[in-house]
Amino acid sequence: MFSYTFQWKQALKALPQMLDGALVTLQIALLSMAIGLVIAIILTLFRMSGNRILSGFATAWVEIARNTPALFQIYMAHFGLGSFGIHLSPFTSLLVGIVFNNAGYLAENFRGALKAIPDTQTRAGRSLGMSSLQAFRLIVMPQMLRIAFLPVTNQMVWAILMTSLGVTVGMNTDLTGVTQDLNARSFRTFEFFAIAAVIYYVIAKAVTLAARAFASRMFRY
Amino acid sequence: MKTQVLAIGLLATTVLTTPAKADKLDDIIGSGTLRCAVVLDFPPMGSRDENNNPIGFDVDYCNDLAKALGVTAEIVETPFPERIPALMSGRVDVGVASTSDTLERAKTVGMTIPYFAFEMAVTANDKSGVKSFEDMKGKTVGATAGTFEAIALEKQVKEWGVGEFRPYQTQADVFLALSQGQIDATVSTSTVAQSNVKSGKFSGISVVGKAPFDIDYVALFTNREEYGLINYLNLFINQQVRTGRYAELYEKWVGGELPSLSVNGVYR
Repeated sequence: MFSYTFQWKQALKALPQMLDGALVTLQIALLSMAIGLVIAIILTLFRMSGNRILSGFATAWVEIARNTPALFQIYMAHFGLGSFGIHLSPFTSLLVGIVFNNAGYLAENFRGALKAIPDTQTRAGRSLGMSSLQAFRLIVMPQMLRIAFLPVTNQMVWAILMTSLGVTVGMNTDLTGVTQDLNARSFRTFEFFAIAAVIYYVIAKAVTLAARAFASRMFRY
Repeated sequence: MKTQVLAIGLLATTVLTTPAKADKLDDIIGSGTLRCAVVLDFPPMGSRDENNNPIGFDVDYCNDLAKALGVTAEIVETPFPERIPALMSGRVDVGVASTSDTLERAKTVGMTIPYFAFEMAVTANDKSGVKSFEDMKGKTVGATAGTFEAIALEKQVKEWGVGEFRPYQTQADVFLALSQGQIDATVSTSTVAQSNVKSGKFSGISVVGKAPFDIDYVALFTNREEYGLINYLNLFINQQVRTGRYAELYEKWVGGELPSLSVNGVYR
């Protein structure tokens, strides 16, 4: 049986504080996506390079990032590196953890997108006199971005939600951190968590809708 | 005739479906089980032995309470932040979880009279150069999220205006971070500090002094409106002290000078 009287007035007083937390959450997610995208492109190039060491490195990264929990990755960035004397602040640990995860997933998205583009297109380009770099930049890349765009926005949403794991490494400025703090003070668990859930939903939905609008303008045939 | 049948039928359904006016105390006695929320990451108040059985002051306290009620005790492990959701969703009846009785929290749950009292101690990484509470100014400090000391320390760091405060989710994470040097010092209850330093699990840390926070009185808690149960719990705490059981348990799990549970000059 659930016996609880909701006190929204008291909880909503903390809304500005929670919105500040949401900004931090968004900031980490955006930053982690920007860095993650760069690393993912590098990893994709490594995997295409044919060099065994480079592609081995990239494959290992993708394997670990995709097949271990994000919580573990973030925890390792803080306490794992910490045991070797490398001390990252909660913000940095969280960012490093999410970047690691993002890069792995995005690299896989790019690989999938690349596979969807027939080799014959590159060959056609080459036979028209393009260099291999030109063929990649002018023919493959634009199509790859189009195919990978929606999976990338998925990862962005996932990155936003992953920031909530920061509390395990002492993060107290992001949305979940602020929520936990408010909860500890007043024990108004359900109100604060409900508000936080709504804020997360709104942010994630806004990102999805924005991405869709952007895609329909950019990727028109 | 039809209306009569309908009326009788309606009456019968009302009588059968209206919940009996039993309060929580009745429910516990009736069910034969007392479910206690205990934090098992908080030695010596609550932890697990080598066979993974819950042990500690709070565990014994719950067992005593169950014995007094004539029921069996069930220890439900709840990390600090999950104590209230566990109570509200009906997974536990009572919290025996070293819960500080702040006025802010008492607006949400019902607190009993204090059943234990903590003093706060500063534990520091040996390399940090922190030798007292004042030395923590400007350093990176941490504590277990959701505890009395975390709230007090965060406030203090804000007042100092320099340094950084980090809340970790469990006591073990705080001491891990402290031992690694991720944070320079922590404030925890002196019992926890001693127990962790002595455990040998965390190297390079020592208790360096007391923290000048108010004494942290902790209470049992249950739903705010369960006066019958709260009344019983208050009497139970009183009896534990009166019969010497409180002193006995304190000696068993903590040792040293027995903290007084009453505040001078005021009732309750």
